[in-house]
Amino acid sequence: MKQQTETIQTIAKRDPALVMRLSRLGSFHQSRLSFMRILTRRMIRENWRFSRPIFEFDDKGVGQAVYCAHTPDRIYSLIAFGHDLPAEARSDRVIAEAWDSTFTLFDGVPSEADIARLRQNIPLQEAGRVTEKELSVSRANRSVRLWDHVVSSLAAGKQPDQNQINKVGYLMRTTAVYGSGKLGAADREMIADRPECSAPFQIEMLSVFLTRTYVRDLVQHLATLKGGDRAAKLDPGIARSMGIGNSTGLGMAPFLVNHPMLFNNWIAAREEAIATVRNLPSATGAAVAVFRSLLGRSLVSADIWHSEHPIQIEKLKQLRSDLGRLNAHVERADLQNARPWDRLYRWAEAELGEDAQECLASLMLEPYGPLVDHLADQMSDGKPGAFRIDGTQPVADLRAILERAYGWALQINWDEKEQCARAWYVSEEKLEPRLGERFEEPIAPYEQPLAPGRDAAALYAALRDVDSDASLAAFLLAHPEHRHTVRRAQIVDRAPYAEIRDNTIGSDLVPIDMLRCKLAFFGATHFDPRSDRWVRICMFGNAPYPEELQQNQDDDWSYPPLVKGGK
Amino acid sequence: MSHSLNEIEAHAKRAARGAGLSWGMSEEAGKATRWLASHDLAGPALLSAVLTQNDGLPHAQVAPAALNGAWRAPAGDLCPFAAGVTLNDCADRLAADRAVEMVNVSYPLLVLPFAAWASMHLKRPVRLAWQDLRIDTDGDGIWLEDPESRINTEKAAMVICEIGTTHENPARRPGKRGTVSTDIWERLNTFAKRTYAPATEASRLLGAGAGATDND
Repeated sequence: MKQQTETIQTIAKRDPALVMRLSRLGSFHQSRLSFMRILTRRMIRENWRFSRPIFEFDDKGVGQAVYCAHTPDRIYSLIAFGHDLPAEARSDRVIAEAWDSTFTLFDGVPSEADIARLRQNIPLQEAGRVTEKELSVSRANRSVRLWDHVVSSLAAGKQPDQNQINKVGYLMRTTAVYGSGKLGAADREMIADRPECSAPFQIEMLSVFLTRTYVRDLVQHLATLKGGDRAAKLDPGIARSMGIGNSTGLGMAPFLVNHPMLFNNWIAAREEAIATVRNLPSATGAAVAVFRSLLGRSLVSADIWHSEHPIQIEKLKQLRSDLGRLNAHVERADLQNARPWDRLYRWAEAELGEDAQECLASLMLEPYGPLVDHLADQMSDGKPGAFRIDGTQPVADLRAILERAYGWALQINWDEKEQCARAWYVSEEKLEPRLGERFEEPIAPYEQPLAPGRDAAALYAALRDVDSDASLAAFLLAHPEHRHTVRRAQIVDRAPYAEIRDNTIGSDLVPIDMLRCKLAFFGATHFDPRSDRWVRICMFGNAPYPEELQQNQDDDWSYPPLVKGGK
Repeated sequence: MSHSLNEIEAHAKRAARGAGLSWGMSEEAGKATRWLASHDLAGPALLSAVLTQNDGLPHAQVAPAALNGAWRAPAGDLCPFAAGVTLNDCADRLAADRAVEMVNVSYPLLVLPFAAWASMHLKRPVRLAWQDLRIDTDGDGIWLEDPESRINTEKAAMVICEIGTTHENPARRPGKRGTVSTDIWERLNTFAKRTYAPATEASRLLGAGAGATDND
């Protein structure tokens, strides 16, 4: 009898040459593996408790509060200081020196002495100093228009207008959340072995989660002080629709380049999840129902996503249209049989733009928490030894890596002005990362190593006349200027998603692509570029508040409800 | 003052870059300084000393002239970072029970972190010795024998690195913070500052993309 020989080929993770282009990274969407969702899932699973031992503010919002998150093993406390900020001092830039509110996440429960010490330092932010008992330092500014509207509405006994809230999305926006050793705080390494800190940026996400609760409580407090007995209590549905804004500038872009192994692990986890789902031979009716429902809510999300930036307006137009087409296709497609998700993905690859493709790639993971959520455990960089260079590697092997991973860069003529028009540098002012015009400003001597493609091409050229059997150690002894790039190349050989495979200094670079990629991994939605190099987003919009966590077992808060304003 | 190890590493890396080391070398100088600070050793102070001593000198002048034989600079003393990175690059030589000899090394303690990383790579203890000092490391911990207090010496005529011995007594393990005096921090800062572009009104407005109003 003839053996059936039909084999179905396993679908591999997507090619880094496809994934690691800036236009695609700049089209990423949140997913089950986003850091905010990893955190809220854990809070629900472990039944974290929350308390507010201190809350003291005057009618201008000046005062202090402490919010505690009780995990099964320990307590983390957000200490918030409220300030009376003159309008002219309100700025989202790193170079600002005063804010509406300032915060620190404290490891444990702060004593009175701790709070007194922190009151002297946290309001100063970068000009202050903290200790290893503090895990993060952050600040936030009010959206003045919406803040005033909400306070005056509630004080007058009315609910605020949901349309006005939707236009902004938040009452306060953070303008920096410093973690991992900044300003003297505890290094990530000090807490990395705690289960709740094992996924990336969990401390920072917890800080923002608690900040959102503080903001809701503070706006209510001020409205009550103003309106007295007449004041209304903010409708929970309206409160839920509000997230915390975040203004993010160029500082995030170098992060992705400076942490190649970590970046690889984020991308690789999501790609592994996508491949897992694409390989499923069939889908149940229940899984398809989850997918259809969240696709519908993604359409709502795209509809209420506003931006005035020309690039984003165009992207949104196409995203809405593509999601509409995807929805129509999904209505009639067989999503249950014959590798349905792979067929759907390939249809999207042929028919839709990158933004909708990435939205779909994230959406496909939604019905499959048990198959993909564990990948969150692989998203940190647990191998700090990765920086060691293997000096015994023959030059021929390095050449082959460069051809494989940086082939795109070897085809570029880096002497052309438009290919290297920009340079990344750090400004003397508060060490703010900036991007300048290499041929118009005197910045080249200060250039940061943030152009891996150009540097790989230079390394490749330097290797041209070196004996293929020679070892790298001898080459590097004579060429220390290539050490940085040799290290990157050896990393990308082991970690294929470690490197952005695109020009990061060209005249057509759009830095917000790098910001969006990182922020999508945070779990942000509604990216609103304010220029080509800073972007506003909303974090934890529609998320449950601490007391609502246990009623939200579905982990679907990232998608707005079908009926606007609460579900 | 107590600093986080990330702060020390970042500051040291910038200082090394400011003194003219390549980016790749500066990254390792930063990690080496952090490693020493985590052991409560004088990494930041010795970094400041060697950067001052070699300020602006070309790498070729302070790096091993060749890999065979004892390592020595073409003239003058070996920079401990140039020697250190080369030691780690060539760590596999040690496994073949070949000692690496380095002649006239400035601030040899700064070579120790590289010996530690070589040890992690080889999964065997590695020893660094000069004068009557011996330090064995398993990558993370150290066993120090230093009867004459030579650890912070400015210069050693001969530094030998080879496979070390396993110890019964517990190693000295790293802590999670580092202490750097304000004076040393400021000295490193004078080097680090060279990497920062002076702020101009144009860069303030354009470089970080201000334009749209911050307020809404």
